Amino acid sequence: MSTKEIQLKKTVPALNKHKVKEKATGLVVSIFRYVLLIAISYIILYPLFALISFSIQSKADILDSSVTWIPRAPTFETYKVAWEYLDYGNSFLNTILIGMVSAALEIFSCAVAAYGFARFKFKGRGLLFGLVLLTAIVPVQILVIPQFLNYRYFNLGYLIDLINLIPGVNIPFLDLSDSPFTFWLPSLFGVGLRSGLFIFIYRQFFMGLPKELEEASWIDGCNPLMTFVRVVIPSSGVVFLTVSIFAIIWHCNEYYQSVIYFSETFPLSVMLAGVRDSLWHTGVLDMYLAPYVSAACLMFIAPVLILYLFLQKKFIQSIDRVGIVG
Amino acid sequence: MKSEENKVVKNTEQQNAPSLKEILKAEEAELKAKQKAEKLKKKQKVAYDINGKVIPDLNVKHVRGIESKKSWYGFYFVLPWIIGMVLFFIIPLINSLRYSFANVIPEEGYMQLDWVGLEHYVYLFKKDENFTTNLLGAVGDFFTSMPIVVIVSLILALILNSNFKGKTLFRGIFFVPVIVATGVVMMHLTDPFGGFGAIVQLSSSVTEDAYSAVGTSGGMDFTELLNSLELPTDITAWLSSMITDIFNTIWTCGIPVVLFIAGLQTIPAQLYEASKVEGATKWEEFWYITLPSIGQTLLLVIIFTLIELLTQTSNPVINQAYALINNTEYGISSAMLWVFFAIIGAIIGIVIFIYSKLCLKRWE
Repeated sequence: MSTKEIQLKKTVPALNKHKVKEKATGLVVSIFRYVLLIAISYIILYPLFALISFSIQSKADILDSSVTWIPRAPTFETYKVAWEYLDYGNSFLNTILIGMVSAALEIFSCAVAAYGFARFKFKGRGLLFGLVLLTAIVPVQILVIPQFLNYRYFNLGYLIDLINLIPGVNIPFLDLSDSPFTFWLPSLFGVGLRSGLFIFIYRQFFMGLPKELEEASWIDGCNPLMTFVRVVIPSSGVVFLTVSIFAIIWHCNEYYQSVIYFSETFPLSVMLAGVRDSLWHTGVLDMYLAPYVSAACLMFIAPVLILYLFLQKKFIQSIDRVGIVG
Repeated sequence: MKSEENKVVKNTEQQNAPSLKEILKAEEAELKAKQKAEKLKKKQKVAYDINGKVIPDLNVKHVRGIESKKSWYGFYFVLPWIIGMVLFFIIPLINSLRYSFANVIPEEGYMQLDWVGLEHYVYLFKKDENFTTNLLGAVGDFFTSMPIVVIVSLILALILNSNFKGKTLFRGIFFVPVIVATGVVMMHLTDPFGGFGAIVQLSSSVTEDAYSAVGTSGGMDFTELLNSLELPTDITAWLSSMITDIFNTIWTCGIPVVLFIAGLQTIPAQLYEASKVEGATKWEEFWYITLPSIGQTLLLVIIFTLIELLTQTSNPVINQAYALINNTEYGISSAMLWVFFAIIGAIIGIVIFIYSKLCLKRWE
């Protein structure tokens, strides 16, 4: 036997032992992981399943204490009632008109501002970016009342005030309250719902993009705006997808501002917030409210949830690739 | 002979002594001159090679990146945002600050302000008992749940970021709270008043069920179990409140998990390979590579969680302010929200300060 073979014989069992130990710890870790994940998934999915279960319970099922999950006499009447009380058709259209349009505006306006912050070293950049963070930190509730007045008597940023200084001229202020402009205008300028966070995410992504591509397009004679449209946007689909999903979801769920700004045309979120009270006022007993409210909640979630199911794979992949460094 | 030699030496020393000093002085002067020159070189930011020749700095001098070239273009990109920020952020912010010092009477086209100075603030702290208790409650809640949310979401993100079967499925489930949690549905789910008790019971029964699912206490009352451990009552109370809050905690974790995963993805794989070669354990890997690399993300998550927790629909201070708004008491509600915002700002400031002193510096 050569010395090499002897050495091999000695080392092989040692390696095996090591491997066995590694495998055992790996198994324990993976079991622990699955138990934890399943437990938490259960906590997450429980309310959804419970909502579904509640929403199809008839009055008899609520009184029947033996019914926990699957109702004996399932009814879809609740959805019909919830549809009426939500005024679903109209309020859904309102949500699309108000929320989706301003989400679309915000997705682009924030990208433009973030590109400016990420690629160019102009004077006062640090200060201005500090203000971006401030817009993200200040709670929206603090701004709601002055904002409402701003829209109720909209003066184009004191422009109408200035014109009215001319004697004899008296232009009335615009009334933008109860119109989608309340959300469109700030979104157009990149100061809409959670725009600060979006600008932050975009900026981090743009800073990580290789400069060479943009430099090449500069040399070829593109101006910065064209470079942004033709080179930067096509290569940052990932971050656009992430921000779009967040923007759409948050605009759908927006409640605090809508409830102040709107007095007649309500989006879905405001209708949903009031659905329990309006049911209660029509004389539905407290104990029978839950199925209707559950149905309303599910109808509210459904569009976003369906959208999420379609985009889920891409969204999860995109989060891997966006890379928010902070 | 010896004495003669000594004398000679002494003589030479005496003769040379002044010259030595001179030499030393000269050397010092030279050194100083060199140092000055080096300083100048540093100031000029010009690189020199070994022979003292200037190396042309390609990055700075000759070929400019886009970043510095026509930097004023950036201003145009940001300009719309600046206009919007002034119109829809700065002006309302200042107005709301003004309202907090006045009695506000809505008139056609403007707000009639009767200045009352600090009266609203004095009222809030001295006469309004609800406010101080609400405020302390909100801040206290935040301090107990914030660390839990951050730690739990970091653990979840680490798990979801590793490779295992069913990863996509679990990720899909874990992002569901991102969709549902930030809204009115949550308000209904956790509404403690009125006819929606069923779902509230649901949120507390979900915790019990979760325990029996994990198997720590099958059907047993958890608080009883805690009491039997004979810990100090404060800790027991805190733990049991944490446990009954698990529903809220998990549901607040949605977006932090997303942010953490995005941050974890940016850590270059080479770092882990190198640490494997060096024989580091997983634990060391976490403390020396993972945590320092996501330092900035961690700060982002902390601030995000802070804002999220403090501006939740269930927050008592904000509810109180909204009730006042409905009664058209704009002055007091503005003052209330400003006090609240000042506290949030102070907390954020302190957190950022401590964090950057303690953690970020050490990790760099």
